[in-house]
Amino acid sequence: MSLAVRIIPCLDVRGGRVVKGINFKDIVDAGDPAEAAKRYDAEGADEICMLDIDASFEERSTTIETVKSIASQVFIPFTVGGGIKSLKDIDMLLKSGADKVSINTSAILNPDLIEEASKEYGAQCIVLAIDAKQDGEIWNVYTHGGKNKTELDAIEWAKKGQDLGAGEILMTSMDKDGTKSGFDNNLYMELSNNLSIPVIASGGAGELSHLVDAVKLGKADALLAASIFHYEEISIKKVKQALQTEGFEVRL
Amino acid sequence: MHLGVVDYGASNIHSVARALQSLGSKVSIVDTPDKFKSIDKLVFPGQGSMGSCIKKLNETEMINPLLDAIKSKPFLGICLGLQILFDSSEESKEKGLGVINGSITKIKDINKENLKIPHMGWNNVKIEKKHELFSGIEDKQFFYFVHSFVASNTETSITTTHYGEEFVSSLATENIFATQFHPEKSGEIGLKFLENFINWKI
Repeated sequence: MSLAVRIIPCLDVRGGRVVKGINFKDIVDAGDPAEAAKRYDAEGADEICMLDIDASFEERSTTIETVKSIASQVFIPFTVGGGIKSLKDIDMLLKSGADKVSINTSAILNPDLIEEASKEYGAQCIVLAIDAKQDGEIWNVYTHGGKNKTELDAIEWAKKGQDLGAGEILMTSMDKDGTKSGFDNNLYMELSNNLSIPVIASGGAGELSHLVDAVKLGKADALLAASIFHYEEISIKKVKQALQTEGFEVRL
Repeated sequence: MHLGVVDYGASNIHSVARALQSLGSKVSIVDTPDKFKSIDKLVFPGQGSMGSCIKKLNETEMINPLLDAIKSKPFLGICLGLQILFDSSEESKEKGLGVINGSITKIKDINKENLKIPHMGWNNVKIEKKHELFSGIEDKQFFYFVHSFVASNTETSITTTHYGEEFVSSLATENIFATQFHPEKSGEIGLKFLENFINWKI
């Protein structure tokens, strides 16, 4: 008996609304976050993730309201990311009802943030989010929602994140995100082989077999997807049934 | 029915309070010694280490009213709230509350099964002994866990869970119930469990 593979629907939120784009571009409106979260909970989601895709200072209060609204209606683990820069931001999100925070760009600009946050709140609530794009044999890390390329190697950065105290790695393949052509399983396999903390795979889910392969081939501990669940192209239950057929533990 | 959720300053108590409120309960935060009196039932959610928890309870002078409440009122300990009931823990030098005999140990045999610590995620809860708090909940349902230490040996065990080793995922003795899992994060089944606690008559 082992832990269930987690299925995590992601709500990309901007200004208090769910939105969805392709390859981090062409954003369209896709509904109310709390309603969507409730629906996912009822459909068997194991966690809910909410990413505020361009959280600015002015929009912080909207984000907090959305977090509170979801947390008072949905009673499964809830991760919030986007624009987190300081311990104060983390504190505010956790107090508003987030169980975990996901940190991306700020962790690269200030790696101490991961270490300090992990010491203060525990590794279990610190998720290091990484956006990566393949370049030959390696994957490069990008910041600011995929806009800026860095010199960091994604696998090395994930290992560093683990050492700094991150409890999980949420890795998004920018090559695959929004393409519905399957997960970057080589990336996830490489990550899983190099880490002792859970890996959440994100980007590229289009068909049932893609999700199964990310666990089977990519050895992912959890799968995150937005549009396939949002537009009800594939149900969470179907994903779990398919994983169960392949012999993986799921919560059904 | 007036429920109290203990806040000793280091734990995310809000999700427990929200879950209880969503079930229609009157919930108050208990963060000073005088607030224990008006409470009918007490919930103690905890995270972090046993040592820092006991220290904070001493600093806030809540340790004695807490012990009195544990002896007299329906009590639900969650996660660290289960662990501090024991005599001691491998995690800390400080003694626990000593309400239940035994000690808390680090999860064993993780290498054999190539498991990760903390034990974080959804795992099966096997019902070993019937209890009102599990009424309407089937055997081997999934609950949400986040922890690195366990109670593995107690006669008070109600459910067990396997992760590296078989450990006590919940226990009960008289008016005390405690869970290693987080009912407030375990979806519908977790809410059913909390509803059973609200309705629990001793």
